[in-house]
Formats: sequence, C-alpha cells, structure tokens
Amino acid sequence: MQALIALTIANIKSYLRDRAALFWTLAFPLIFIFMFGFIFQGGGSGGSLTIAWADADGSPASTQLRDAFAGQETIELRETTEDDALALMRAGEVDTVIVVPAGYGETVAAGGSGSGSGPATIRVYTDPSRQALAGTVYQAVGAVLGVVNLGGQAPLVVPDPQTIATENLNFISYFVPSMLGLSVMQVGLFAAIPLVADREKLILKRLAATPLRRWQLVGSNVLMRLLIASTQAVIIVAVGALVFDVQISGSIAFTAVFVVLGSLAFLALGYVVASFARTEDAANGMTSVIQFPMMFLSGTFFPIDQMPDALQTVARAIPLTYLSDALRQVMVGGAPFAPLWLCAAVLSVWLIGGYAIASMKFRWQ
Amino acid sequence: MDTVTATPTPAADPFDPADPADPAGASVIAVRGLTKRYGDTQAVAGIDFDVRKGEVFGLLGPNGAGKTTTVEILEGLRTPDDGHVRVLGVDVAKQPDALKPRIGVSLQTAALYPKLTVTEVIDLFRSFYSASRSTAELIDALELGERRHAQTSVLSGGQRQRLAVALALVNDPELVFLDEPTTGLDPAARRSLWDLVLGMKAQGRTVLLTTHYMEEAEILCDRLAIMDHGRILEMGTVDELVSKRFQERAVRFDATTAVTVPELQALPAVRSVKDEGEMLVYTTDVGATIGALLALAESRDVELGNLAIRRATLEDVFLDLTGRALRD
Repeated sequence: MQALIALTIANIKSYLRDRAALFWTLAFPLIFIFMFGFIFQGGGSGGSLTIAWADADGSPASTQLRDAFAGQETIELRETTEDDALALMRAGEVDTVIVVPAGYGETVAAGGSGSGSGPATIRVYTDPSRQALAGTVYQAVGAVLGVVNLGGQAPLVVPDPQTIATENLNFISYFVPSMLGLSVMQVGLFAAIPLVADREKLILKRLAATPLRRWQLVGSNVLMRLLIASTQAVIIVAVGALVFDVQISGSIAFTAVFVVLGSLAFLALGYVVASFARTEDAANGMTSVIQFPMMFLSGTFFPIDQMPDALQTVARAIPLTYLSDALRQVMVGGAPFAPLWLCAAVLSVWLIGGYAIASMKFRWQ
Repeated sequence: MDTVTATPTPAADPFDPADPADPAGASVIAVRGLTKRYGDTQAVAGIDFDVRKGEVFGLLGPNGAGKTTTVEILEGLRTPDDGHVRVLGVDVAKQPDALKPRIGVSLQTAALYPKLTVTEVIDLFRSFYSASRSTAELIDALELGERRHAQTSVLSGGQRQRLAVALALVNDPELVFLDEPTTGLDPAARRSLWDLVLGMKAQGRTVLLTTHYMEEAEILCDRLAIMDHGRILEMGTVDELVSKRFQERAVRFDATTAVTVPELQALPAVRSVKDEGEMLVYTTDVGATIGALLALAESRDVELGNLAIRRATLEDVFLDLTGRALRD
C-alpha cells in the first residue's frame, strides 16, 4: 500500500511537471470552453426574450393580453398554435411558450365583475434545466401581469407554470458536459504515452527488479488517472457554472459515476495503445489517430443527428459518443441520444474489451 | 513457460552439496548449464560459474557476448531456456519474488524517472522495500548532495550512474548487480564509480558486474569470467588468467611496414606476434628478443615508435582467446 501510494504520488509529480501532458488534459478543454463560451454567449438569454404565443381563446381579452406582452421592448412574440409553439421551444428556437387557454376571455370578464370562481390562467412553459432563463421568463410574465391585474383585490390573471424538456440546450450548456467527456477521454487515452516512455526508458524493467508487484504498478496508474479526471471534472464544472452560468440540474453522483466509468474505459483504450506502440513517438501518433476522430464524431462540437448518415454510423460505435451523451443527460438534462443504461453498457464493453486485449498483448519489457 | 525447462530426472540436483564448484551450496550465485536463445541468436550457450560471498565477480566481454542476458536472468527479469540458476539460495526461475528484496540492481542504462528529483526517486524506491537505508545517508554516500533537488533529466552521465547505484543500494542488499556501470563515463566519473564498488566490497557485499573495459576488470574484480558469443572462455583471477596463458612478456611498438610479422616471429625467444595497430611480440626472454629486435630495426634504419615492454594483460588474454581485440 505504501509503495502504491508513493508510486501514485511520483506519477502525479511527473505528470504535473510535464507541460505537454498538462496542456492536453487540463488547459486544452478549458481553452475550448472559454473560446466557444465567449463566442456563443449572446445566444439564447441576454436580455431579450422570444415568446411563442398560442392563443386558443381568440377573445378581445386575449388579444389585449397579447398586446401587453408585445408592448414590452425586450419581448419578441411569435404567434402560432400550441403544438407548433411547443415544437419550436423543444427545438430551442424560442425561450418560452405562453398558451392562452380557451375560455380565458369569459373567465377574465367574470372575474372583473366579481362573479368569477377565480383568476384566469395562462400556461407558461419553461425548461427546468435552464433555471436562469426560466427566472427571466417569470420575471417578464410577472411584470406584464402586474400591469394587467392593476393591483386589484384578487389577481385576474395568474401564470400556470408548465415544464418541458428542450432538445437543444443553449450551446454552452451542451458544450460543457461534452468537453468534460472529451477531457476524460484524453486523461485515459494519454496514459499510454508515459507508460510507453517508461518502458522505453527501461523504468518498467528497473521496477521489475524491485519487490514492487505489477498490480501495484497498474493500480497506481489507474489511481493517478482517476485523480486527474476528477480534478478536471471539478474544474470544468466549476468554470461552466461560475463563468458561463451553466445550470447543473442533474445528479452529481451520476456525473461522478460516468466520469469514473469513462476514465476507466478510456484508460483501457490507452493500455491497448501502450500494448501496440513500441516507442513514445508511436504512442503519440496512435493516440492522435484515435482522439481526433472521436473528438469530432462524438457530438462534442455538433449534434450527431446533424451529421451525414455514414458518419452517424461511426458516431454510434465510438465510446466518447456515449460518455458525452450520458454526461449531458445527467448534468444538464440534455435530450438522450441513447438511454443511460445503454451508455453505461457501451462504456463497460469498451472497458472490459480494452483490458482484455491489453492484458494479453502488453509487454512489460 | 514452465514446461520448457522440465528436468527429466528429479534426482539430478544440479546443486549437489558434493559439487566441488559449490561445496554445501556456499556460493552466492551458482549457475549451471544456463542457456538462452532469442530467435536465431544463441545469447547464452550453456554457461557455468559460481560467485562466492564477498567477492567482486566480473563478466568481461564485448557487446553482444551475452553478459546482460546472463545478469538479467540472475536478477529474475528473464527466464532461461534451460539450465539452473540459484542466487542467495533462491531458485530464481521458481521464486523470483523471494529474491528481489535482497538484491540491488543497476541496469545497463540508468533507468530513472526524468521529471523526479534525486531525492524523490530515492524516496520512491525506498517505498518498495520493507527495510531501507535513509535517503540522506545514500545521497551522502554517493556524493549527490549538491544535486539532491535536481530532476534526473538534467544530471550528468556520472551523476545518473551514481544515482542508479544509489537505487541499487536502497535496500542494503547482500548482492549487487552492476551492468556496465561505467560505460560512457569520463575517466573521473569512472574512477569515482570504481571507488563506490570497492566500498561495497569493503562493506562485505557481493558484487557481480559486467564490463567491456579491461582496466576496470583488472582493478575491481577478484575473479572474472571472459565471455564471448554466449560462452565463458576462461575464468579465474586476473593473475591466473594472465599467467596461465602468458609466462612471457610482451614487447610492443607502433606498427611499421619496415619489419614484418614473419621476421618478428623468427627472433629469439618469441612465442607469438600480433599485429593490432600496435605490434605485440610475446617473448619468454625479453633481453634476447629486444636485442635482436633493435638490431633488426637498425639494419632497416627505422626507429620503433613507443617501444615498451610490459607484462601481458587481460587484453592480451582476450586477444589470444578470441583472435580479436576487445577495445572499440
């Protein structure tokens, strides 16, 4: 145990002193997040609201309410039917949907004369995974209804909160879990390079001449990579939440599970690379050959369903697709590409397959 | 793997206490019929030797002689194809893990974590052993004090080798393996490493070292085995090796076309002549030979460059055994 810990610390020190490794695994994802974060920050929220307006009543009262909303400088209205409005919102085209139900005019009239059974309601749809936007929506709705209700004894119109899961998260919310997936991939995959270097420099052979056992060597390597992946996860989530206001609506525990499962799966892939690469340069090359297609085909930068069919087939086979998809689902409530159990299963298959191949093919000397 | 070295008759114990080479299993290292092949290359072709407690034993030979393969089998890093190896009483093929805590190893290339400092590497290796010497003591003993906080990648060749030796001494081992410990070092660094090896011997450790430097073998080794092409050609103390072959002395001078080998062989008391860039004339009577040689040179009106008389050395032994020089 003492040896395992000492070796893990030694590995971490070596890693922290290796600027190239630090760049790829720590700085690179952050640079991407900042770059894309600032480029796309204006999209979605940022003052103005786009509301899909569905009027199922068609009364003078509902028209009046519409005009009250349309009169706001910061609000842009798109009038449509309820179904189309919800479709627009799911597709991320509008920020919220307001539905004026049939019978609204009568209820308002009854309420105005004091004979009604209660206030009229309008249905307001928000996405719980986008709390900041939901807040902005209710603030705007409240401001308009405040004028409509004119401070009467009882309010004439109240919002009826509805929730809906939107498919397209705003870009940064989509991007942060994707980048976490990407960096987890790099932490695992890049384990091949120092391992091959250690073998090339005969460090593995030298260790074999000590009482250190192989399980301690592998254990320390896994432990170190998990620590790096966890540190990175914390940094990426913190930057996403604090700098770009990404709402982490999902389960931290599930996030951790997938970070660990993903790290182990890609570590297995890294060990496969280390089993076939004879030199550090070869390991570098093989790592790049694996990482770049994964990076671009896994839905990290563009959603998979916007890819050509042939590429979609590839995307369906690579583990990063499932890791990033799972992370988007559990962190920000992203629409699933595959159910979580399938994501976990695919990663587990890569994990077991990778370790099986590596344990057969890895040469210690 | 285990099936390769099946012994046909269990009764045939290669380490019979009656074995004259290893009475009562007293040897620190006992090697019998050791064989290792890589593809078509016979790296080790059936060798036998013993290393006694407290001695510095050398495997001397050119690159590719099979020295490193032999040492790595003894260290438990490689499995032999055939033969038996017992180190510190442990059957290495069967229980390599029982051996590792008790030996110190320095590989041919100093294998060091490049990004760790001297202190950190020593501390790391200490953590592998249940008992170890203190880092400060090792750093002092190996004169690495000034470089204790330097990363190993910036150390000089001599410092790297000293650190590699420090790592071999971390567990205070009874037996130390040093594979080519001074290859590539400048003369000063080489001498400082020789002092370390002699220090180990003074502390009662047994040392097995490989080298292709004659001088190193002569200075350090109590006994040595000369290896070439996977075989041990001769074994013994330096004096034994030299006197067994050469009662004579060698007269040497820079090679010149003025005198030919057959002419030299015809001189009185000459046993043999070797032309190896320098001319070596082995003689049983220096006075007779050199007188005739000088007369011959005078008759040709040439001066013999760097004329010297010396006792035969390991170099001569190696040349005689293999027909070629060891150096280069």
